[in-house]
Amino acid sequence: MNGLLRHKYATTAIIWVLLLTVPLWLPLLGGYTALAGRVLVFGLAAMSFNMLLGFTGVMSFGHAAYFGLGAYGCGLFLKYVTPSTPLAMIAGTLLGGIAGTLFGLLLVRRRGVYFAMVTIAFGQVCFYIAYKWDDFTGGYDGLRGFARAPIDFGAFKIDIANNSTAFYFFIVLVFGLAAAAQAFILRSPFGRTLLAIRENERRARFLGIPIEKHIWLSFSISCFFTALAGSLYALLNNFADPLGLNYIMSGNIVMITVMGGMRAFWGPLVGAVLFVMLQDYVSSMTTNWMFFVGLTFVCVVLFFPRGLMGMFQKGAKT
Amino acid sequence: MLQVVMFNLTNGLIVGAFYVLMALGLSMIINLSNVVNFAHGNFLALGGYFAFMLTPYIGFWGALLVSPLLTAVFGYAIEQLMIRHVYARNHIYSLLLTFGLGFIIQDGCRYFWGPSPLPLGIPDILSTPLTPELFFITWYRIFMVAVVIFAVSGLFAFLRFTRIGMRIRAGTLDLDTVSALGVNVAALRSYNFAVGSYLAGLAGVLAAGQIGLNPNMGDDLIMPSFIAIIVGGVGSLTGTLLGGLLIGVAAALTTVVYPAASEAVIYVIMAVVLLLRPRGLLGEEGMLS
Amino acid sequence: MTPKLEIRGATKAFGSLIAVSDVSMRVENGELRAVIGPNGAGKTTFFNLITGFFPPTAGEILLDGQNINRIPAAGRVKLGMGRTFQITEIFPELTVRENVRIAVETGLGFSLRGWLNRSDHKRVDEACDEVMGLANLMPKADRLVGELSHGDQRASEISMALALKPSLLLLDEPTAGMGDEETYQITGLIRRLHRDSKYTIVLIEHDMRVVFHLADHISVLAEGKLLAEGTPAEIAANVHVQNAYLGNPE
Repeated sequence: MNGLLRHKYATTAIIWVLLLTVPLWLPLLGGYTALAGRVLVFGLAAMSFNMLLGFTGVMSFGHAAYFGLGAYGCGLFLKYVTPSTPLAMIAGTLLGGIAGTLFGLLLVRRRGVYFAMVTIAFGQVCFYIAYKWDDFTGGYDGLRGFARAPIDFGAFKIDIANNSTAFYFFIVLVFGLAAAAQAFILRSPFGRTLLAIRENERRARFLGIPIEKHIWLSFSISCFFTALAGSLYALLNNFADPLGLNYIMSGNIVMITVMGGMRAFWGPLVGAVLFVMLQDYVSSMTTNWMFFVGLTFVCVVLFFPRGLMGMFQKGAKT
Repeated sequence: MLQVVMFNLTNGLIVGAFYVLMALGLSMIINLSNVVNFAHGNFLALGGYFAFMLTPYIGFWGALLVSPLLTAVFGYAIEQLMIRHVYARNHIYSLLLTFGLGFIIQDGCRYFWGPSPLPLGIPDILSTPLTPELFFITWYRIFMVAVVIFAVSGLFAFLRFTRIGMRIRAGTLDLDTVSALGVNVAALRSYNFAVGSYLAGLAGVLAAGQIGLNPNMGDDLIMPSFIAIIVGGVGSLTGTLLGGLLIGVAAALTTVVYPAASEAVIYVIMAVVLLLRPRGLLGEEGMLS
Repeated sequence: MTPKLEIRGATKAFGSLIAVSDVSMRVENGELRAVIGPNGAGKTTFFNLITGFFPPTAGEILLDGQNINRIPAAGRVKLGMGRTFQITEIFPELTVRENVRIAVETGLGFSLRGWLNRSDHKRVDEACDEVMGLANLMPKADRLVGELSHGDQRASEISMALALKPSLLLLDEPTAGMGDEETYQITGLIRRLHRDSKYTIVLIEHDMRVVFHLADHISVLAEGKLLAEGTPAEIAANVHVQNAYLGNPE
């Protein structure tokens, strides 16, 4: 086993130990478990987005749409259909994922700046729908009036509704399954074709890889996972926010990814830790939080473009 | 009914002309530098606030001349300070950079001029209606359209007849060749960015005279500008012109039939264009795609 | 016997400029053919006609006797035309093994697979080892291709082309921009592929030492036309060729 691989396994092990022991150490640092839940949700959204950016080399600036659709899908299902947490999550994931798959069809022939602009515009479509359709979605005030329900396994029940530690471990479980699925996809032959497209699209085309089809699949997969993160977000807050669909949220997802390091599998999770800490800290210190968040964006881009994990990796270019 | 349609049609043309002014600046920067300036809407707000500051001293007309120039200088400085460092990198960085910059400018405006809306005083003659029958058209609206026509003709003349303009146009088509001919591409991009910022500033003054000022005034205008560019086709300024007018008029006419859909209709137009003609109405195939 | 590749009267015009004019060529199975010519002779255009970058204005291109005029570049790859590019086209931030593996898996039709069963996995591994072994890349298998020398990068690119199991290998200036040692390395690789592994190879080259060293037959292009064709010895003795390269003494 070579050094690079050993390094990867060590990182993964450390991350899992830290995640599983959050309820033990986070209160000692003055945090609360829901904060860790937020990190995992944003981390999952950014890791899903990074399948596209970091591992296919395609940039979307509209992933908030699928995150938000996941949240609304989950919330609407809980509110109007039936109070079942797992079914609601499936509903949210399907809503965001299918929307992304369909939009993806219109996108795959575009590249670069054009691709980004069209993804932003599609994101705003979803925002306007949630915003305007008040009687169904709650409009500007967001969707309220639903709550996550305890999960009933027949023999025993997990009370994720009232027990915050139980809910945290539920998020860890979903996050873990999703991360494992992503790692599995990225290490498959299909995942390697995505790397090939990222590295050299022309070469990949001449090997006989159908580029458009693979980018579309990657976009679609990424949207399903992002929507799953969105449905967790709705459960976390018992609320779906139209601003979660806005391009500002898309910018945050991109930022989290870049800040953590887009060439590293766990980079976006690390970025989410930094982002949630920054958000929590700055918004408690000053009303001019936008200024500081903006300044962070600018500084990261100009001075730390490879992100935190990227600084420990060699060979990665910006 | 006819009057309602007339009202909305003129309104649509005015709004469309306004989208054009803003989108052209954005489009120029995309075409030459491959950077989508997310802060373009905030540049617009800044132009409006500059005018607000200047009006007490040099009047509205003076501010109309000076404020866009100040915005251009600001844009030039920003380009020198930050944006030029990311040209060589993945597009994601220029998007993130200008996205963060937009936050900074917006919060800066809020800090200096306060969060509440401010009016921009305009000369009395401009606020009177054309005639009692055409009460819905003030002179200001006519004036806005006149300024847009003047600015757009000026821009096209600049690109066709001046040395820098011709180089910008050539650079849009083939940057490598222009660079190989010994043109300083870095400087060209800076001037181009300044011109784009000038257009945003001008749009800002005009908008402020009509709807007043507030720190997030640019946010509502950036999306229509994007869509004008996508519909018109990335890489073509004439396309942007056409796209802007098209979505302005379409949104206004939809208001007559079904007001709730007036904002949605521009997205529908975009989706239809992408389906039927993916490169946009006048876009070049292969350009940035 | 049907030739591997046959070109009949191929012509390519760009507007009024005729880049390739009525060129014919037969490449037999197992042959190593070099196409040479002074700058601007139409070599690259000719190569692009064979690889399917654009269709010919007139004439026919036949692979194993089948007309492939209308088949685009990617389709020709599937028919067994492996190629390399003048500027090395690789996946720089991946290892040599990953580069080759992507090519192997795509060649075996696994590019949409989410997983491989044990026997497919073994097939892929063996194929990777085989082509990397051919190019002497085994010791560098786990290095990032972008960090390797120019010669090793070119060898990796050739391995990727081999991974698709081509029946015809097209090399576009394989030693372009290389120093003596790297040229020697790549020349050695091409000769092994030709002599030991019996590949049919067509290469464009401007380095005469390489060409005369390797080729069974040489086709000389000048001003878009076929000037001469023959064994290296015949070409070396050909007056027209000498004139084309050294300038017309008359």
